[in-house]
Amino acid sequence: MSDAGQVPERSFEELRAELEEIVGKLERGDVAVDEAILLWQRGEELHRLCAARLEVAEGRIEELAASTDDTDAPTL
Amino acid sequence: MKVEATFHGDRKVFSVSAFNEGIGIYLGRLPVLWVEGEVTELRRNDAWAFVFFTLKDPASGACLSATMPRRRFDALELGLGDGERVLVEGKAEIYEARGELSFRAVTIERIGLGDHLAAIERLKRSLAAEGLFAAERKRPLPRFPRAVGIVTGADAAARGDVVTGIRARFPAAHIVIAETRVQGAAAGPRITAALRRVAAHPLVDVVIVARGGGSFEDLLPFSDEAVVRAFAACPVPVVSAVGHEQDTPLCDLAADVRASTPTAAARLVVPDLAELIAGLGRSRDRMDASVRRALARDRDRLERSRERLRSAPLLLLERRRVALDHAAARLQALSPRATLARGYAVVRSGGRALRDAAATAAGDRVEIELATGALVATVSEVRP
Repeated sequence: MSDAGQVPERSFEELRAELEEIVGKLERGDVAVDEAILLWQRGEELHRLCAARLEVAEGRIEELAASTDDTDAPTL
Repeated sequence: MKVEATFHGDRKVFSVSAFNEGIGIYLGRLPVLWVEGEVTELRRNDAWAFVFFTLKDPASGACLSATMPRRRFDALELGLGDGERVLVEGKAEIYEARGELSFRAVTIERIGLGDHLAAIERLKRSLAAEGLFAAERKRPLPRFPRAVGIVTGADAAARGDVVTGIRARFPAAHIVIAETRVQGAAAGPRITAALRRVAAHPLVDVVIVARGGGSFEDLLPFSDEAVVRAFAACPVPVVSAVGHEQDTPLCDLAADVRASTPTAAARLVVPDLAELIAGLGRSRDRMDASVRRALARDRDRLERSRERLRSAPLLLLERRRVALDHAAARLQALSPRATLARGYAVVRSGGRALRDAAATAAGDRVEIELATGALVATVSEVRP
């Protein structure tokens, strides 16, 4: 979780969407070669970020405590 | 029967017991009738002449104390559990020693399957009319939820199936679990509260409500109006994975998506890691190929430009040479030499070409230019 005030981390979905956009732009082939190389560098970076996200071995399991209303009930 | 009163001056005053007795007589005139409610706080003791229980209105929570002769109760052999929905026949009475109203039951009937089905059907129709199940209300599930919320009972099976299903597809998934009671009379409000709690988690983008198969009665809380409304009102999309394929609790209709099993629900809420990795690889390959193509295209373009650049001066020179040849030919055509070559001659006197014979006199020296060579001559006669 990001603390308040900190720039929120971009989601995997956002990163992937940006990568797809770059791929699309490059595939249309209407960018100058200088820009193509810049886009490619950005794309590589995005690919690396996305892959790193997926490499997290195991996510967290959080148990929410039941409210008091829930715990006082007798079990049938 | 008349209740005794005393008089204080002109006031008619009753004792407490006389008052209670009077109320008892009044209540005694009420007819025997049926009351529907949930049985709670059932107390039965072999030493007591009566069993005591409370009838609770499941909608409002209003309560009514009730009693029933123990022998009669035992004879019914209902085996009632806490929270069961019943119809009780009896009439109101007052426990005069405490002035408490209670309901004296003469018989109890457990509400039948048919009654439940009819009630669910009625609720289904009214909620459908309200638009709660409309297709336009269904929200798409997020492709990459930041966290997946799970509302589940403590029973290991459903919970385990969802968690394992999610983990198998997407190990990095962040899971938020709210465990709650999922069956029995009090389950409705618990499920509603758990759903609200898990949906309020700041990262939860989708919620699965999972409950394994069970009897029709076991699944009743999932057709409870408050629960169905909570599904519809949930701020994030809800996947209902309640019961088995053939069960259709009303919450299924209010959920954004219905999954046939907890495992199927898991598949719906998280992406497949292997597929994602493959997809990322494909994106990268496409990007590389595009850049390579763009570079090749630019190299070709550059090569063509260079060739044109190289051939440009040669072309220019060639063009100039042709132009020069033309000029030379034209110059040639204008030159007197061509005339001389045809046998004409230029006669000059004092460096100037002669046009008029009178411009000379006999004895003058003139030069005669021929196509080849020149002569120097002396004028012997002038004929103007």
